[in-house]
Amino acid sequence: MTAIYLICAFLIAAFLFFNRNAVINNILVILFGLLQVGFTFYACSNYKNVFLQYFTFDSLGLLLLMTLTIVSVPALFHSYLYLVRHDETPQSRAIYFSAIVFLITSISAAYLANHIAVIWIFTEMTTLSASMLIYHHRNKLALEGTWKYVFICAISITFVFIGILFLSLALQHAGSSDLSFANLMAYKDQLNPFWLRLSFLFIFTGFTAKLGLVPMYTAGIDAKDKAPAPAGALLASVLMNLGFVGIFRIYTVVSQTPIFHWANLIIFIAAFLSIFVATVYMTKVLNIKRMFAYSGIEHMGIVMLGIAAGGIGYYAAILHIILHAFVKSSLFFQFNQLYRTFQSKSIQYVGNYFKYNPAGAIVLLLGFISATAMPPSGLFVSEFLIFRSLFEGKHIVLLIAVLLLLTIVIWAFGKNILKILFLPVPGIDESKIPKINPWESLTQYLLLFTAIWLGLNPPPVFVQLIQDAVKLLPN
Amino acid sequence: MTNVLLIIFIISLLYVSIANRIITYVRVLALQGVILFGVTFLQLHAIETWNLALIMLETIVFKAIAVPVFLSYLIKRNKITRVTEPYLPNFISLIIITMIVVITVLLANSIQDTHLDKIFFIVSLSTLFTGLYFIASRKKIITHVMGYLMIENGVFVLSLAVGNEMPNLVNLGIMLDVFASVLILGIFLNKIGDVFKAADVDQLSNLKDY
Amino acid sequence: MLSISLILFCSIFFAGIILRTKSITSGRMGPGILQPVKDVIKLFRKGTIYSDTTSIIFRIAPSVTFASVLMACMVIPFGSSKGLVSFDGDFIFFAYILALGKFFSIIAAMDTGSSFEGMGASREALYSMFAEPAFFILIGSFALLTGNTSFYKIFSSLHLGSSITYMLGALASFVLMMIAMIENSRMPVDDPKTHLELTMIHEVMILDNSGFDLGLILTTGYLKFAMYGALIADFFIGNLTALWAIPVFIFIQCLFAVMVGLIESFMARFRMSHNPQFILALSSVSFLIFLGVLLVLEKFV
Repeated sequence: MTAIYLICAFLIAAFLFFNRNAVINNILVILFGLLQVGFTFYACSNYKNVFLQYFTFDSLGLLLLMTLTIVSVPALFHSYLYLVRHDETPQSRAIYFSAIVFLITSISAAYLANHIAVIWIFTEMTTLSASMLIYHHRNKLALEGTWKYVFICAISITFVFIGILFLSLALQHAGSSDLSFANLMAYKDQLNPFWLRLSFLFIFTGFTAKLGLVPMYTAGIDAKDKAPAPAGALLASVLMNLGFVGIFRIYTVVSQTPIFHWANLIIFIAAFLSIFVATVYMTKVLNIKRMFAYSGIEHMGIVMLGIAAGGIGYYAAILHIILHAFVKSSLFFQFNQLYRTFQSKSIQYVGNYFKYNPAGAIVLLLGFISATAMPPSGLFVSEFLIFRSLFEGKHIVLLIAVLLLLTIVIWAFGKNILKILFLPVPGIDESKIPKINPWESLTQYLLLFTAIWLGLNPPPVFVQLIQDAVKLLPN
Repeated sequence: MTNVLLIIFIISLLYVSIANRIITYVRVLALQGVILFGVTFLQLHAIETWNLALIMLETIVFKAIAVPVFLSYLIKRNKITRVTEPYLPNFISLIIITMIVVITVLLANSIQDTHLDKIFFIVSLSTLFTGLYFIASRKKIITHVMGYLMIENGVFVLSLAVGNEMPNLVNLGIMLDVFASVLILGIFLNKIGDVFKAADVDQLSNLKDY
Repeated sequence: MLSISLILFCSIFFAGIILRTKSITSGRMGPGILQPVKDVIKLFRKGTIYSDTTSIIFRIAPSVTFASVLMACMVIPFGSSKGLVSFDGDFIFFAYILALGKFFSIIAAMDTGSSFEGMGASREALYSMFAEPAFFILIGSFALLTGNTSFYKIFSSLHLGSSITYMLGALASFVLMMIAMIENSRMPVDDPKTHLELTMIHEVMILDNSGFDLGLILTTGYLKFAMYGALIADFFIGNLTALWAIPVFIFIQCLFAVMVGLIESFMARFRMSHNPQFILALSSVSFLIFLGVLLVLEKFV
C-alpha cells in the first residue's frame, strides 16, 4: 500500500505538472486529498508494521502523519481559493499544485522512514518542491528568497550526509553496515563515541534548516515570507515537524549511548540561542508573515528545550509540535484574508481588522492567544510541562532566562496583533476594502479548536501514542 | 600514491585562498575533479567493477569537465566581473585556511580508529571548512556556488574513505552532487543572471525586516 | 673542505650564467660569463665614500654580512663529505647566522638616514620574517624524517624511495628554490632591474654603498646564490660517490642559474601587496611537507 500511495501521488504530481485544464486540476487535487486521507487511515490500521523494508508505521510517524493530513486538507482548499482569486496562468497553477502534492507526499514518506538515508532522500525532495512553491510569484524578491532557501538547504543536506558518513564509520567499528534505526539501536553499545559525536553534530546542524533553529534557521524565514500563504502554512508547520523527526530519531539512538549528556548540551545551546534570536527579531519585525515565522522559531526552540530537559519534557515536546502545527497553519491561512483586506503585509499599514472582518479577527486573536501559550490554548499545557521538566532537571537559570525572553516575545507579538486588530490605520480608503466571506475562516476555527481540545482534554489514544513514541528515551 | 594526490588536493586549497580571479577557482575545481578521479581509482578496489566505472565516470565527467565548463559559460554569459572581491584580504584568507588545516590535523591526531585512513579525514574536513569559509567571505554569488562545490568535493573524499565497505553511500553522495549542482547551478544561477544584472550578493539583500 | 671550495667555484659563474640566460632569451648575445666577477674586481680597486650621517655600523655592515654568509657556507655539506664545520643543530646556526648578516645590512640601510632606504629595509625585514617559518619547517621535517639534526647527517641519510618521498623531495626543492629567490632578492618577489621607489626592495638598501663595500656586497650576493644552489643540490646527491657527485652538483647549480634567468625573463614581478601572501603560502606548503613526513613515518595512520 505504501508503494501504491507513493506511485499514485507522484503520478498525480506529474499529471498536475503537465495539465493545463482547471477542472481536471481540481479533480486531481481532490483525488490526492482522498488518497492522503485514505493512506492515513490505512496507516492507522497497520500500526507498527514495516513496509517496503524502509517504512515503519510507528507512533511518532503516525501522529505526525495525521497532523499532516489534517493540515494539508485546508491547505489544498485555501490554495485553490488563492489561485482562483489571483487569476493565475494555467502553467503557474500547474507548477504550484504539483509542487504542493510532491511536498506533502515527500513529507509523509519521510515521517514514516526508518532508515536514515531514506529520510535524507525525502528531505532533499522537500527542498526541491518547497523551492518551486516559494518561486511562485516569479519576481525579484521571490527569486531572492528561493535562492537563499535552496542554497542554505543544499548546504544543510550536505551536512546531514556528512553526518550519515560519520555514522557509518561509527557503525563500522561494531562490524555492521545497515544504517536503519532499528539496527543502530541494536548496536548502540558498540558505536564508536567519537564518530557518533561528530555524526550527531552534523546531522543536528543539517536538520536545523528544516526545523528552524540556530544556525540554519535563516532559510526558513525568507521562505515562509515569500511563499504564497497556504504553502507558507505547510512550510511553517509540517515541514518543521520533518526537521524534528530527523533529529528525534537520531536522538533516540544517541540517548542510549555515553554521549547523551553532550548531545543534550548541544541541543540546549542551539535551542536557547534560537529563542534569543527569535525574541530579538520579533521586537523589530514589521512584516506579518515574518513575525509568524520568527514565532515558529521560538516555539521550536522551546520544543528542543523540552527534548533536552527530559522527563515529562519528551511528552510535552511532541504534544507541542502537533499543536503548534495546527495553530501556526491556521494563522497563515488567515493571513490571506488579512492581505486581501489591506493589500499590504506590513504591520504599519494594517489596522482595525475587527471592523472589516470580525470572524477573521477573532481567528487572529485566538491564534495569538494560542501561539503565546495562554490558558485556554493547548500550547499552554505543553509549554507548562516543558517548563516543569526544566525545573525538575534543575536548569533554573536557563528557565528564568527563557521565561524572560518569552515575556518579551509575548509583548512584541501582542503589541503587533493588537495593533492589527484594533488600531485604525490613518488615511485608509475604506471603499477599496473588499468584503470577506466569514465562512472562509471556518477551517481556521476548526484547527484552533482542535488544538485547544487536544491540549485540554486529549483522547486516551492520543496520549498513548505520544507515550509510545517517547518510550525508547531514558526514564 | 593516494597520499600524494591528497596532499596535492590540499595544496589546491591553499592556492585557491590566494587566487584573485574567478577563472582560477574554476580551474582548481577541475583539478580537484581530476585528483578525485585518481583517488577513486586507487581507493575503491573492493566494489564491483560496474559500480566503480559509474562512479569514476561521474567524477571525471561531472566534476572535472561538465561543471567547470558550465561555470565558465555562466561567467561569460552573465558578464560577471572577473575579480573575486573577498571581504577579507587574501593574506588573512591564507592564514585562516592554513589554520584550518593545522586544526584538522590536530583533531585527526586524537582519533584512535584503525578503520579510517586519517589523511582522508583531514582532507575532507579541511575542504569542508574551506568551502564554508569561501561562502562566508566572498561577495559574489558565483563564488558561493563554487564554495558549495568544494564542500561537495570534501564530502566525496570522506565517502571514498568508507566506500569500500558501503558502496551505497558513495552512490548517494554522487546523487547528492548531481542533484544539488543541477538544481543550484542550472536553474537558479541562470535565472539570477537574467534578473539581477550583476551577480553580487549585495543585490540579494532586499529581503529585510522592512 | 670540498663543499666550500665547490661553492666558491660555482659562485664565480653563477651570476654570469643568469645574466647570459636573460640576454639570450631577450635575443642578445650578452656579456661574458665572467663579467660580474670583473665588475667586482673593478669595484674593489675604487675608493669608498662614506656619508657624514652614517656611523660605524655603516662601515662594518658589508664586512659582517660577507662574513656571515661565508660562515653559513661552511656548514653546507657536499654529498657524503662534511662541510668545514658540522655539529648537531647546525641548520639553526645556518638560518640565524644568515639572519645576523641580514640584520646588519638592514640597520646599515637605516643608518644612512634616508627614508628611501628605510622603506627597503622594512620590506626586506617583512619578507625574511615570513620566509623564516618556511625554511625551518622544511628542514625540520627532513630532520624528523631522517632522525638527525645536522645538515651533513640529514642529507647523507636521506633516501628517496616511495612515491610520497619523491613528491616531498620535489615540493621541498620548490620551496627551497623560492626561499632562495626571496633571500637573494630576485623575481618573483623583487626585481633587481627596477629602480623605481614604489617597487625596490633590496637594491634600495645598497644605494649608498660604494667602492670596496659595494664589491663586497655584490660578492655576498653571488655567494648566497651558490650556497642555496648547493643546498638544493644536496637533496639529490645524497649518496653518490665523489666522482659522480661533482659533475651532478655543478650541473644542478647551472640548471638552477638557468632557471632563475628564465623566470626573470618571462615572469613579471608580483604586485607588492601580493608578496607577503606568496611567501606565507610557502610556509603553508612547508607545513604540508611536514604532514607528508608524518605520513611517511607512520606517526599518523
